[in-house]
Amino acid sequence: MKLNNRILLPSIAVLLGLVMIFPIYLLVISSLRSETNVFDFNLLPTGFEFSNFTEAWIGSGLPRSIANSFIVSATVTAVAMIFHAMSGYALARFRFPGKAIMFAWMLSTLMVPFAVIMIPLYLITKNLGLANSYAGLIIPSIFNAYGIFLFRQFYMDFPKELEEAGYMEGLSLSGAFFRLALPLSVPIMVPLTIGFFLTNWNAYMWPLIITQDEKLWVVQQRLAHLVGGGYFTPWNVVLAAAVIVAVPTFILFFVAQKYLVEGIKMSGIK
Amino acid sequence: MTPKRISDRTRNEWVTAYAFLLPNTLGLLTFVFIPIVYAFYVSLHDWNALSPKVFSGFANYKELLRDQLWWNSVLKTLLFTVIYVPSLYVLSLGSALLLNALKGRLVGPVRTMFLMPFAITSIISAIIGMYMLDPRNGVINHLLGFAGIGPQQFLGSTSQAMLSIIGVILWINIGYNMIIFLSAIKEIPRDYYEAAQIDGATGWKAFRWITFPLLAETSTFILIVTMIGSFQAFDQIVVMTKGGPANATEVSVLYIFKQGFELLNMGYASALAFVLFLIIFCLSIIQLKLLSLRK
Repeated sequence: MKLNNRILLPSIAVLLGLVMIFPIYLLVISSLRSETNVFDFNLLPTGFEFSNFTEAWIGSGLPRSIANSFIVSATVTAVAMIFHAMSGYALARFRFPGKAIMFAWMLSTLMVPFAVIMIPLYLITKNLGLANSYAGLIIPSIFNAYGIFLFRQFYMDFPKELEEAGYMEGLSLSGAFFRLALPLSVPIMVPLTIGFFLTNWNAYMWPLIITQDEKLWVVQQRLAHLVGGGYFTPWNVVLAAAVIVAVPTFILFFVAQKYLVEGIKMSGIK
Repeated sequence: MTPKRISDRTRNEWVTAYAFLLPNTLGLLTFVFIPIVYAFYVSLHDWNALSPKVFSGFANYKELLRDQLWWNSVLKTLLFTVIYVPSLYVLSLGSALLLNALKGRLVGPVRTMFLMPFAITSIISAIIGMYMLDPRNGVINHLLGFAGIGPQQFLGSTSQAMLSIIGVILWINIGYNMIIFLSAIKEIPRDYYEAAQIDGATGWKAFRWITFPLLAETSTFILIVTMIGSFQAFDQIVVMTKGGPANATEVSVLYIFKQGFELLNMGYASALAFVLFLIIFCLSIIQLKLLSLRK
């Protein structure tokens, strides 16, 4: 038992950890191989063809789709933070008729899988004149009951005294929120911002439905097109493009892992 | 309470609250709630997107009863769910227990390794999967060769394609659920284990009678979220197999997508979506009931 705990257990853990990151490692080293060597069975780097990256960058419209993904993800995240903070605050702080029903109704939208409403959602977005536009990519992606729920949790534990003092100073109810509570909401905003950004960077299905114009494609569409778009793209270039697209999320992962973990834990709150 | 007795302060609070809730209420109404109702309305029409809607009653629903491809897709969806949900549960709980038992400097790096695939987007995971599972040159077939197993078709095989896709999706999702389990395990008071130790319950017994029961709520949460998510698997399937080979991986969401956006049968696709919604809804309720019975 002692031996198990000191040697066997850590060995198994490290081994499984290596299995988990092996595909990522393989992606990176293979993206540096030449077209003829890309499938080499070798667990060590066998080439440093940085031209794969220039080819992926120049030849494929990747920069434009990266910019699109940044615009969409950043806008959705920023607007969602404000809207969800407002709703969460109202549900946590204010007393008003219909509060319980409102909260239950908002939470119930979590039960509706996106895949189930994709057709009517497309039809409605199209009827609003938003099909094939940035607005069509952005607006329907903003609303999310998870965000509201987590902000509400946060403001329930938020000390009232601060706003009370603000009212004394002559702040209105909304003034106290925007001037006092909102700026102090960083602890909830950081993990949620990371979560929203990652989710939108990852988005594929909705952009696929709502955009026809190649100029509007987001980065996941571009990647999917590269690997299965009907014309032949060499594997080394596909892998290099995948590495480029993975860079922002990996930077986020390593810089903000603590907050990412924080966010995951919060999403697990019953 | 008559309107007159409502103080300015109260009225002010109501107005501010409704104003704060307005953007999300409008958004959720327009982009979640109305679509459900609208799906039902459209499903009662024969509508080929290009031609005008024609009311057709329940004709679409009658048609789907006889649609073999639809029922095939329902079966494939259930197959996916039945394999994916328990696998994810066991693997992420197992990883959490392993990490929890780990002590010292290794904890951080091992946790990072398990969580890292979570930073991979679904399309990139599909690309890596296709690359590694390539029937002729892929690394997995090379490795199987060492074990004396001949090359497998994987995504080209009707029996292996679904499992291959499930493997890829599991890979990027274990870390996330592991973190949730891990934080729930950490919340279990240590005294419980110390008390159990006095009674001679360690290892498996401690897990069976302390850890596992106390994780009931977290388990319920994870199982339901995973199940609802498993009905939506789409990204990897589209990229890796497009539903093939021979419809072996054509899950319902993909079939609805094809009916709606490739064949432009908006009415029929809406009927399918509405039925899928009812199936998911019923399964969620049943699962909730079963899990609360167990307690």
